Amino acid sequence: MVVRRSAQKTAPQGADERLLVQAAQSDPAKFDALYELHFERVYYFLARRVHDRATAEDLTSEVFHKALANLATYQWRGAPFAAWLFRIASNALADQYKRASREQSSDNAQNPDEHPDFSSPDLESIDYHARLFRLVDHLPAVQCQVIRERFVEQRSIREIADRLNKTEGAIKQLQFRALQTLRAQMEGGHA
Amino acid sequence: MPKRSLAVQLDRAIEAMLVALQPEPEPNTSAALAQLMPTARALRDLPRSDFKSALKSDLQRRTTMNEATAPAPQSSRTVHFRRPGFNNIAPYILVNGAPKFMEFLVSAFEATEGIRVPRPDGSIMHAEVRIGDSVIELAEANEQYPPRPMTTHLYVPDSDATYARALRAGASSIHAPTDDHPSGDRWGAVRDQFGNVWYIATPKGWEPGAEGLRAVQPYLHLRDAHNMIPFVEAAFGAEALGVHKSPEGHVLHATLSIANSTFEIDEAHGEFQPTPGYLHVYVADTDAVYAQAVRSGATGVTPPNDAPYGDRAAAVKDPFGNTWFLATYLGTGQP
Repeated sequence: MVVRRSAQKTAPQGADERLLVQAAQSDPAKFDALYELHFERVYYFLARRVHDRATAEDLTSEVFHKALANLATYQWRGAPFAAWLFRIASNALADQYKRASREQSSDNAQNPDEHPDFSSPDLESIDYHARLFRLVDHLPAVQCQVIRERFVEQRSIREIADRLNKTEGAIKQLQFRALQTLRAQMEGGHA
Repeated sequence: MPKRSLAVQLDRAIEAMLVALQPEPEPNTSAALAQLMPTARALRDLPRSDFKSALKSDLQRRTTMNEATAPAPQSSRTVHFRRPGFNNIAPYILVNGAPKFMEFLVSAFEATEGIRVPRPDGSIMHAEVRIGDSVIELAEANEQYPPRPMTTHLYVPDSDATYARALRAGASSIHAPTDDHPSGDRWGAVRDQFGNVWYIATPKGWEPGAEGLRAVQPYLHLRDAHNMIPFVEAAFGAEALGVHKSPEGHVLHATLSIANSTFEIDEAHGEFQPTPGYLHVYVADTDAVYAQAVRSGATGVTPPNDAPYGDRAAAVKDPFGNTWFLATYLGTGQP
């Protein structure tokens, strides 16, 4: 299987990214391109730190809304645009932690060990996950659906089999093939 | 080792990982399986595609509305977002035989016919009838939107008279109006020829609040109904006005409001089992509510779009299978 080019999006380097940012600063409608490039990175950065899908989604939404609102103030200093997004994400994470701590304190149930990881982003791991997440959309449709139902919705094999009108064995095979394909593509091979 | 066997082993390892958050592969897994597990583990953080598209749509909306630099996606349409004559919530009932269904509503509940949009073949693409201060929308079911019988709670001036008219119009009795209903209201129930259930009630011993009482209220029988309350609070900003639970925690009855309208829920029981239906909800900002609903666990059905009839419209499906048509009226008429 040939990996489609759009699934291999990597952060554009230097001048290319600067042009994208400048275009969005001139015309906010062009923020789309930056969103498409960085959505998976920001989401994964947050999801790994909060371990809760709803919170990760809320924070991701907050990050992109803030980025869009403050794009005019962004100044290119040579660092990747993603670094700016991660800084907004870190601030959003810290604010969220403070809010949660206040609520827990008022319930007298604060657990000082439960705090998000404020460490610097591991860019290699973020890029790995972002690329994997995009590849899922390029699987054959039924494999993509199985992966989403299994890992996102966390449905059982039986539930997925019922929903897709297939046998449980067929769903396990589809899941297996999808993972084989994804692994091969992540290693740069062909599945 | 045959592939099927490996597929089964892989699923066992994934199941263990998803359930127990076990970060390491099982000790006895084969090398081939162990190679796949890092990919499986990485997929635990896979984002929902609905969320990605909803947030994108939300951001696009802000840019096209020249709200890009606003501090937060606040709605600027707080007055005219409801289509004139509509409340915030209307049941949207799809049946086979919509013209006859309209006749039934007119005969049984003294509904007055509003809009009727026919298809070339004479079937009804969309219609609206008014009962008291409320609107019920209906259409001929189709492949995309199959018929879904719904339950609706009507407040009428005289439940006995309305109940008798409904039977004459072809409905069958579930029970005649009685003063012994737990609500304290005089309350009867019928089922029409299309499978819809109608609770016919006249308030007794209490007065509606300052805004009055909506004549039509969707009534959802749900399994694990208690889960609907946090969902609609998060997704649509609904407010729980009264929640009565059994000692076991089952919702015996709850009234939930969205702006000027209410709907009711309870735990499915006896013959009143879940019949997921369609609800039309007017909101101040369809894009924002669509995004919020998806973040809250709804599934996107139709992303926000400018509908030809002049609403900003979208559709989501809640975790119970009900479809919520979201709409923001873009016209200038007074609500």
